[in-house]
Amino acid sequence: MITLIKEESFKLLHKRSTPAITIILLVLMTAFGVLAKSYPKFYSPRTLFVQSFTGDSWVVLFMIAACSSIIAMEFQYGTIKEVLYRKYYRGQILVSKWLTMLIYSIYLFALVFVYSLILKFVLFNNTFDLGRKYGAEHSVFTSFSYTLIGDFVGLWLILSLVLLLANIFKSSAAAISVGIIGYFALGVIAGLMTLAIQKWNWLKWNPLNMMNLSGQMNTPSMSKVTMLSTPELAWGSLAYTAIFLAISYVVFKRRSV
Amino acid sequence: MADTDTILQVEHLNKSFGSKKVLQDVSFTVQRGHIVGLVGPNGAGKSTIMKAILGLFNYSSGHISIDGEAVSPTSHKAMDKVGALIEYPGIYPFLTGYQHLKLFSKDGTPKAQIMDIVDKMKMGGYINRKAKTYSLGMKQKLGIALALVNRPDLVILDEPMNGLDPQANKDLRTIILDLAKQGTTFLISSHILSELEKLVDDLVVIDKGQIVYQESMAALENGSAKLLILKTSNDSKAKDILTQNGYELSQSDQVAVVEKADTKMPDIIKLLSASDIDIDDVQHVHSDLETSLLKLLQNDKVKES
Ligand SMILES: Nc1ncnc2c1ncn2[C@@H]1O[C@H](COP(=O)(O)OP(=O)(O)OP(=O)(O)O)[C@@H](O)[C@H]1O
Ligand SMILES: [Mg+2]
Repeated sequence: MITLIKEESFKLLHKRSTPAITIILLVLMTAFGVLAKSYPKFYSPRTLFVQSFTGDSWVVLFMIAACSSIIAMEFQYGTIKEVLYRKYYRGQILVSKWLTMLIYSIYLFALVFVYSLILKFVLFNNTFDLGRKYGAEHSVFTSFSYTLIGDFVGLWLILSLVLLLANIFKSSAAAISVGIIGYFALGVIAGLMTLAIQKWNWLKWNPLNMMNLSGQMNTPSMSKVTMLSTPELAWGSLAYTAIFLAISYVVFKRRSV
Repeated sequence: MADTDTILQVEHLNKSFGSKKVLQDVSFTVQRGHIVGLVGPNGAGKSTIMKAILGLFNYSSGHISIDGEAVSPTSHKAMDKVGALIEYPGIYPFLTGYQHLKLFSKDGTPKAQIMDIVDKMKMGGYINRKAKTYSLGMKQKLGIALALVNRPDLVILDEPMNGLDPQANKDLRTIILDLAKQGTTFLISSHILSELEKLVDDLVVIDKGQIVYQESMAALENGSAKLLILKTSNDSKAKDILTQNGYELSQSDQVAVVEKADTKMPDIIKLLSASDIDIDDVQHVHSDLETSLLKLLQNDKVKES
């Protein structure tokens, strides 16, 4: 299994897009930091910091692309035969791809976490205090951390769906589109969903509602909208992630190459 | 049941895609150290058999074993001894040729072992270039190198000569024959019969998903007629004389004597010169694999189902 993860990482690291993504991420975060420094009235430094200078939103997009391609590229390049005909079990091959993506997502989130703090101390050392209260409940630093943790769980809910779609369609384009549209759809249909949930209570268990986890961790009163407690949202997200991954596993094992 | 000299055994393999039966009761064995040709028309099921052997998909019934170990999509242990190139080489455009070989070689494979196959395939000039810059034949060579890099016991090559230039073809032949001498077994499919002929020990012929012939190459050659083609000063008279003297002639415009064990050239010369017929030229013709195969496929009785 370790060998397989090493192989997947080798492929990932040798794609030109991989180092580029780290650099682009840092450039974007720096750009938003500088914007907030120059126009504090339009971009509140504190809010931007809590949102990790937009870092975690970019990570979602990059991870959607990475997850769809780690599966779909094997079909696209025809390398799936070479990858599969070896002594390893099919399940092992798929799981090694998931684990590689998990490691990659942890790396990107750690990068965002550390770099947000660096930006804070370099650009806004005296602007705001990490221990000060932010919003209703928590300090700035706690809100920042909760946002990252909530977004990480939400990210994996999306990624499990992307991994499944890439597996079914064997095409990264389809998986990327659905992933990105799904991610943005949340904002668009949030209002509509709230109405629907008020009317049909069971709809609160739909996967899009689970994406409110990080919002509710920071603003517990959101539970009036989501109709679920924060732990319920967290477990719900994990359960959906597990279900989507399990379907992928079955699909991948049965696939004729 | 499998005797020790059998490395690959396929028994009663059936496979359908939807309602279309692609393989019907396919059984054959491959002896260790032999080079076996798998031939048949387009769509006969050659690639499908190879993929089934590699555990790449489920089949409705049958049994495949490599070196006595069962192989199926869920049981891949025996694959450690197998190298393969199926249909076209799978290649990551963002990796170099060397990185491909490194990626798919077993843990701890020394660099010398990788470079050995690179040298044999004469890929040194571009092995460190990204594969997206490779030509068709370069990719094909990389695919073959990937099949051989782990020094497997059983090598499965699907149309390996695709896109190779004459020199590369010859190199590949040398490599295959050398490895076979050292005990490596090959299962090779190809439509380039003139090339295959120079390699294979045994032949498995498949048509419409069914095995129609499985014999050694020598048996196929023995079964086909050898001819003596004569150019004479008077062909029609020569034909008459030969027939009268008990020689069998093949239906042809030329004077074509079917060669038997007791057919002797001096006898024929004596016979013809006695009738004042001069012999200008003699050719031994020996029907090639292509001719034998086409005849075989024309006469087989398999029906599409
Ligand atoms: N994925 C698939 N779905 C449906 N039918 C398939 C599939 N793959 C192969 N077939 C069918 O199976 C049959 C055998 O195909 P296969 O690729 O094994 O032929 P082949 O002997 O390798 O031919 P060729 O000489 O052209 O390479 C063909 O009739 C083909 O249409
Ligand atoms: Mg084929």
